[in-house]
Amino acid sequence: MNLVLVGANHKSAPVEVRERLYFPESLLPKALQELTTLYRFEEGMILSTCNRVEVLVHGLQSNDAVQRARDFLCGFHQLKMDQIQNHLYDFTQVDVVRHIFRVASSLDSMVLGEPQILGQVKSAFQTAQAVGTVAQHLNALLNRAFSVAKRVRNETAIASSAVSVSYAAVELAKKIFNELSGKTVLILGAGKMSELAARHLTSSGISHVLVWNRTYQRALEMARVFKGEAIPPEELFRHIERADIIISSTGSPSYILNRADGERIIHLRKTRPVFIIDIAVPRDVDPEINRVNNIFLYDIDDLRNVVDANLKQRQKEAVHAEEIVKEEVTAYMNQVRTLDATPTIVSLRRHWETVFKEELEKNRRHMGALSAEQESALQNLTNSLLNKILHGPTAELKQLSQDPARADQIEAIKRMLGLKDR
Amino acid sequence: MSILFLRLTIAFYSVGLVHSFLTIITRKKTLFRVALFGIYSGLCCHALSIFFAWRETQHLPVTNVHEAFSFFAFVIVLAFLLTYARYRLESLSIFVFPLVFILTLAANLISTPSSPQPEAFHSPLFYIHIPATFLGYAAFFLAFAAGIMYLIQEKELKRKRPQAFYYRLPSLEICDDLGYRSLSIGFPLLTIGIVAGSIWASRAWGKYWGWDPKMVWSFMTWLIYAILIHYRLSAGLRGRRAAWMSIVGFLFVLITFVGTRIQGTAHPFIRNMQ
Repeated sequence: MNLVLVGANHKSAPVEVRERLYFPESLLPKALQELTTLYRFEEGMILSTCNRVEVLVHGLQSNDAVQRARDFLCGFHQLKMDQIQNHLYDFTQVDVVRHIFRVASSLDSMVLGEPQILGQVKSAFQTAQAVGTVAQHLNALLNRAFSVAKRVRNETAIASSAVSVSYAAVELAKKIFNELSGKTVLILGAGKMSELAARHLTSSGISHVLVWNRTYQRALEMARVFKGEAIPPEELFRHIERADIIISSTGSPSYILNRADGERIIHLRKTRPVFIIDIAVPRDVDPEINRVNNIFLYDIDDLRNVVDANLKQRQKEAVHAEEIVKEEVTAYMNQVRTLDATPTIVSLRRHWETVFKEELEKNRRHMGALSAEQESALQNLTNSLLNKILHGPTAELKQLSQDPARADQIEAIKRMLGLKDR
Repeated sequence: MSILFLRLTIAFYSVGLVHSFLTIITRKKTLFRVALFGIYSGLCCHALSIFFAWRETQHLPVTNVHEAFSFFAFVIVLAFLLTYARYRLESLSIFVFPLVFILTLAANLISTPSSPQPEAFHSPLFYIHIPATFLGYAAFFLAFAAGIMYLIQEKELKRKRPQAFYYRLPSLEICDDLGYRSLSIGFPLLTIGIVAGSIWASRAWGKYWGWDPKMVWSFMTWLIYAILIHYRLSAGLRGRRAAWMSIVGFLFVLITFVGTRIQGTAHPFIRNMQ
């Protein structure tokens, strides 16, 4: 195994650099082919997203692999090395394995635990598969990375809580109502902010949208966007009890809902809960309303607090996730090393088998005709000699392969016996 | 034989208990598989334990404290697994398993050999009275747990600073729904249990109702749940108040079940009448 990864991400490079390194999807096949032809790598794939560009390769000649991968990035994008040099990071061997596992598990993402990156790694891998630039080594590595990512997702809660204000609102709504399908949202004040929040809710299953605005025309327009219902300005309190969730962002200088309103609403709703999201500044809803049973009021700062708490949760979970990655890297490296020794063991056995066979044929003419029994006895003899001779070296090779520091000893053995892996 | 299986049961339930807590603390859902394994294995051993006790005594083994605790733990686990099949609430297990563990442990510690009981225990009404009442109690326990989860989650949401429980407890609607369903199953069961018990009493001892403490408390328990159900259905009582009532109701169950039992046999009045 001889892995190299060169790349830049949101931490190492500003967007001006990342955009110059970006590979548009249409150019990926050409780039992948250049990797394996022009730059002589055996296998390669390219991960290119808005937050990271990474070139992952496997090649036999190791000494200049990092440099060749860097040259590829410069060459393909026609950049000068000194323009990007300081923004690139590189990994080799076991560090590549760790890095790929961390990236796929979203531990290296800008927003820790965000789920898109796994899909992006998968599609980068599929593109490379389609072009035919991945084989044994990268196949094994990436498939393992996908299962590590799955394990991280299943065994930690790293991706379980919302880290944007809009999603935090959706998450809170789900903590109150569990299911949002069949629920009704009322938008007070048809502005940009409320539209955005409502969009998140409707895409999470909210089925009915009511819009109220001081100017009826604007309410009608927005109601059309959400296929909802506009409420005439003077009829707000005739409809307000229908809403399970209220998003408020009017420009009103004073409160439009106070505690008494809240109590009346809850009474009309037969104590069914209401979730009020007040994103207006100055606020639209009297904070006192939160004291009413079954009303839950969150203003913009409250939502930010939830996001902060969720981010802290993710960081806690990331510690568990890093442990899983560490464990998986060790397991993977052991597996790969034993795999690496296998070709040597096989060719060693073949080498001696050929030697035995040749000697046997040479001496056969001195033995005359042999009976079937004698023939099989001779076969057994050579087999058991072969096994006895190879037992020690095989065990030793397996042992050696577990220790990366002694990899050169395997090479020495190969040279000594004139063995080739393939 | 029965005791042997009961010992195995407590071992398996401990596995379930420990892993339920680990699941909730670490939020690793995979750990709950271990907990479920412990729970299912425990339940099998528990069923065998009750089966052998049944064969030995020739009637449903619920006539002394040891047997009653064991049987109650059994129906609670059963009720939990039924709930789990529907709601997939791992968090419920941290309420259920401490109680199950304590009941089973107590049953293990105070195991007294069951003596053969009088003819009255062979009545089919007995087989309705006891399981219906116990299942009803188990359902009320789930309503109690749902009520506690509701109050904690509600507090987290009102306080607006998410902490450990916010992430680990289910939504308010689920807690409320679980509480309501448990009540609507538990209440008819308790009613059936009480009716069957009183018919049985009239056949065996000639009167429907004796004012022994257990019966008084049972009646009060029934009354509380009747009021709760009534308000749930008619006035849409839900949320906080319903949660509090489920909690208070279960305290009455505890007094009925444990409090009066401390005085003697299942119903002290049975002893008096013999």
